Amino acid sequence: MNISVKIGNVVLANPVTVASGTFGHSEEMYQAKEVRCLGAIVPKTVTLHAQQGNPPRRMCEVAAGMINAIGIENPGIDAFIATKLPKLKKIGVPLIVSISAHSAEDFVLMAEKLNVADGVAAVELNLSCPNLQKKVLVAQDAEATAAVIRQVKAVTRYPLIAKLSPNVTSIVDIALAAESSGADALSMVNTFAAMAIDVKKRRSKIGNFTGGLSGPAIRPIAVRMVCETAARVKIPIIGMGGITCTNDALEFLIAGATMVAVGTYNFINPRAPLEILEGIRVYMKENKMTDIRELIGSIQR
Amino acid sequence: MSDILKSYPVVALKQVSPVYFRLAFAAPGLARVVKPGQFIHIKVSEGFEPFFRRPFSVYRAHDGIVEIFFEPVGKGSRLLTSKKRGDTLDVLGPLGKPFTPPAAGIKQIVFIGGGIGAAPFMLFSDRIKVHKAEKLLLYGGRSKAHTFSMTDFKKNGVRVLTATDDGSVGVKGRVSELFKEIRLAPATMIYTCGPRPMMAAVQAFAKVHDLRGEASCEEVMACGLGACLGCSIPTVHGYRTVCHDGPVFGLNELVF
Repeated sequence: MNISVKIGNVVLANPVTVASGTFGHSEEMYQAKEVRCLGAIVPKTVTLHAQQGNPPRRMCEVAAGMINAIGIENPGIDAFIATKLPKLKKIGVPLIVSISAHSAEDFVLMAEKLNVADGVAAVELNLSCPNLQKKVLVAQDAEATAAVIRQVKAVTRYPLIAKLSPNVTSIVDIALAAESSGADALSMVNTFAAMAIDVKKRRSKIGNFTGGLSGPAIRPIAVRMVCETAARVKIPIIGMGGITCTNDALEFLIAGATMVAVGTYNFINPRAPLEILEGIRVYMKENKMTDIRELIGSIQR
Repeated sequence: MSDILKSYPVVALKQVSPVYFRLAFAAPGLARVVKPGQFIHIKVSEGFEPFFRRPFSVYRAHDGIVEIFFEPVGKGSRLLTSKKRGDTLDVLGPLGKPFTPPAAGIKQIVFIGGGIGAAPFMLFSDRIKVHKAEKLLLYGGRSKAHTFSMTDFKKNGVRVLTATDDGSVGVKGRVSELFKEIRLAPATMIYTCGPRPMMAAVQAFAKVHDLRGEASCEEVMACGLGACLGCSIPTVHGYRTVCHDGPVFGLNELVF
């Protein structure tokens, strides 16, 4: 059975990964032999300089999900490369490094730093950051998205994955802009802008006032977005949004995603990615499939 | 992960006061390795309601049995009160940084617990039974309903002083009212766990008397593993996660 997939020129052993920010920073809690089973891992997004993150409370639970506004707390790319990367590399699983910046110049600077680092399989651009010129997120602006991808693509030696925000009118338009400017793959989707209110205090439950909704609550919307986009782009999609079990992951694969990422549910069941990997194998066997490509995009219309 | 994520059978659920419960489950491996101050993260329901796991400190751990002590105030802990003998409990743990055991030279150990915050001190006093220091528990509860039998603490050689907000048991007022009841020894170590205002008062008291101490914090948690960075609190070193950098912090590290 062949379940290997390709992102750019990199071959990954299987289609199961994790969403950034849901797995990294706790390498020691996982056994290397378990993590090595995954297709790839994506540590928490890093930025050019260290960020201390948002004031508490940084998250709250809601029906079938959570809202978070962590604020990309991270040690900065230099410290990441010096201290985190060597440990992650030692696990022996392909590493997709997620980076974010406020300008194309900073994205380029980070991509150049990663070029001389060791142990990176691919780079993911977290484009859900404010575009300082336009007061919207880069990921909400097709031109800004294209500009960042074009400039990073010009310097990076790694396959480039663009992580898209669902908080747009037409995610297909953004996806097409990303593809035509050189993205090798798409990660979709990031969290949905949301808030929850403590009615006793009449205050937002989130210190940052608003945050991003993730978890099973968003899955049907994410599946629809992946399905619509997969029909229009040729590059692979890493599908994510509320995946908790094999069935959820299969929905994304059938919709057209080449890979699936478990995000928020890692917090509830840290073993979910491994269970899903096994579940995909079982499903393929039951359906007499020998290649994952028979499953990807197999939605009947 | 396979070491710390397991299902265990429930052995008993006991109501120990009008508001407090103890839940015991059979977990020999966990009982052996869990340290005082560490917590376990329980998935209380099969579905997504509530969505997060719930963190509980360990009250006792011996003879293959682990016990938690809780007050069913939210939808997560309320669900636990319906557990019966033989039900399974999906547990992630032990997690977090434990209390530092008292050094041999410590002459007096003062546990200061508010409500269910006293829970980890039961396990702690079990584990340091042989330590020669004088041991005290200053316990604060809202009312008589928020007090419970202190026999097990006493069996461990811990002298218990109680304060209740309404004066229905012990001294009337906050647990800080009990500070003046204790005669401090030259080498005192404080361990505290409870509501943040209480721990802030303990920090102030320790500062005035130049006492060393540790505090165990509680926050809403998602992962419990230091991955999501959702439970961060301000400390003198910047934001730190309660689940992974804590829950036990140096008393003077906390910023209230």
